[in-house]
Amino acid sequence: MITARRWLPPALLLALLAGVLLVRVQQRLDATLGDYRAEEQLLYLSSGEWVKRLSLGYDGLMACIYWTRAVQHFGRQRLGEKEYKLLYPLLDITTTLDPQLILAYRFGAIFLTEKPPGGPGRPDQAVTLLEKGIRLNPDYWRFWYDLGFVYYRGLQDYQHAAAAFYKGAEHPAAAPWMRIMAAKVEAEGGTREHARFLWTELYNSTDDPIMRQSALSHLIGLRVDDEIEFLQGLVGRYAKETGKLPRSFADLAAAGMIPGQPLDPLGNPYRIAPDGRVLLDPQSPIITSTLGRRE
Amino acid sequence: MQRVGAIALNTFREAVRDRVLYNLIVFALLLMGTAILFGQISIGVQKLILVNLGLTAMTFFGLAIAIFIGIGLVYKEMDKRTLYALLSKPVRRYEFILGKFCGLALTLLVNILLMSVGFFLALYYVKRGFDAADLPLFSAIYFIFLQLLLATALALLFSCFSSPVLSAAFTLGLFITGSFAADLRELSEALEAPWLEGLMQAVYYAVPNFSNFNVITSAAHGRAVPGALLWGNTAYGALYIGIVLLASMLIFHNRNLK
Repeated sequence: MITARRWLPPALLLALLAGVLLVRVQQRLDATLGDYRAEEQLLYLSSGEWVKRLSLGYDGLMACIYWTRAVQHFGRQRLGEKEYKLLYPLLDITTTLDPQLILAYRFGAIFLTEKPPGGPGRPDQAVTLLEKGIRLNPDYWRFWYDLGFVYYRGLQDYQHAAAAFYKGAEHPAAAPWMRIMAAKVEAEGGTREHARFLWTELYNSTDDPIMRQSALSHLIGLRVDDEIEFLQGLVGRYAKETGKLPRSFADLAAAGMIPGQPLDPLGNPYRIAPDGRVLLDPQSPIITSTLGRRE
Repeated sequence: MQRVGAIALNTFREAVRDRVLYNLIVFALLLMGTAILFGQISIGVQKLILVNLGLTAMTFFGLAIAIFIGIGLVYKEMDKRTLYALLSKPVRRYEFILGKFCGLALTLLVNILLMSVGFFLALYYVKRGFDAADLPLFSAIYFIFLQLLLATALALLFSCFSSPVLSAAFTLGLFITGSFAADLRELSEALEAPWLEGLMQAVYYAVPNFSNFNVITSAAHGRAVPGALLWGNTAYGALYIGIVLLASMLIFHNRNLK
């Protein structure tokens, strides 16, 4: 009879080897199946109603899991391939499972509206999501604000934006500025001042640090646009006075127009492109400025 | 009543001896892990996921205990032949069934109370306090307990005439069917043949409607549970459990134990 002392070491070694091999095989499988997995998720679980039924009534838990998947998908794609094809289906399933999950509509709309490469640039889907939220949560007036915001920012459709703000203003709990905002947007269309007000309101309406961070980064983007507009004016004046474009801000400083190298709100230097446009530094992490990233 | 109490207490002691309450450690680890993990990888749902996962885990841990102990309540006593010693004493068969049910109900009650303590501690950790929106959680936990009592009664019923494996399958099957009860009703309304509609309606009323008791999602959002639902579910649970226990007593009474 073979004693345990004799067979145990080789058996342990064998198990260890098998374990290492298993990890390698799984890694190969992951690489092979990578492209298929995203498709599979859509094929099998594209219906929120089915997921709801299969969850045996524990749909709240499933909604949280799907919401986490949506957040993970958005974050991963933002850092990686920039393919957001699962985002809307995941948000739709999440809100079907738990129609009262307010933040899934609000964050979801922001995610969907983000322009590429920071997001899918699908404000139309954001509108669909928010309209679903309004239908299922008629007491929550802020969805009207969010809807107006998406029309305003994502679609630049100021008439629909004003209509959404007006509609929201009819709600008994709505903030009084909704009606003022509706009138201003209807009369003046899109201005940076309105955008600043809307982002500030979003910032003040939530305690969530990530949502506040998103609003803050857009407010920084708007400030950058203000500063670039101002600097662009100086560049134009310099060109008019000297008959040539400045090569850098050192030229403007030498001409006494500015005290030194201007910096963006995060401390990175602005630069002047060869065609005279004032831009953000490529190293600057600010991605929410419209004027600073016109390359 | 004293005899029922004695059997119940012994059933509880036996469950504790069988290390049933060890599941509490897994439950505590699950809650702590969830609170930390989802705080890192998700946005804004730390409390929601804790409530949803905590109450769902409470249900399924309790269900596992109700089923796996419930199915052995009668069978094990017969298999070990301890039942004969017990019934040779002045104990009636219905008292045995009632005692076993109460014993497991006590086990589940203690289990759920301890889980609730852990759950509310985790909730306090996440929210840094409690507010009025947390009150519906008590109703949700009460409903979970009612569900577990119902599952225990069913497991006990099957245990009176079937093997443990089949009893587990039947009880679990009824739990799943009962969780789909609302869909059965919808299905019956969609059917065109009146006899099929009637049959489906009959199935709807016959199966234990576990979906009645699930208010976890709305409680997680802080929505109050209406008083009518509290009374309705209590009455439904008491009636259904009463019927199932009566059936168990009847079957066990007529069972040939030789």
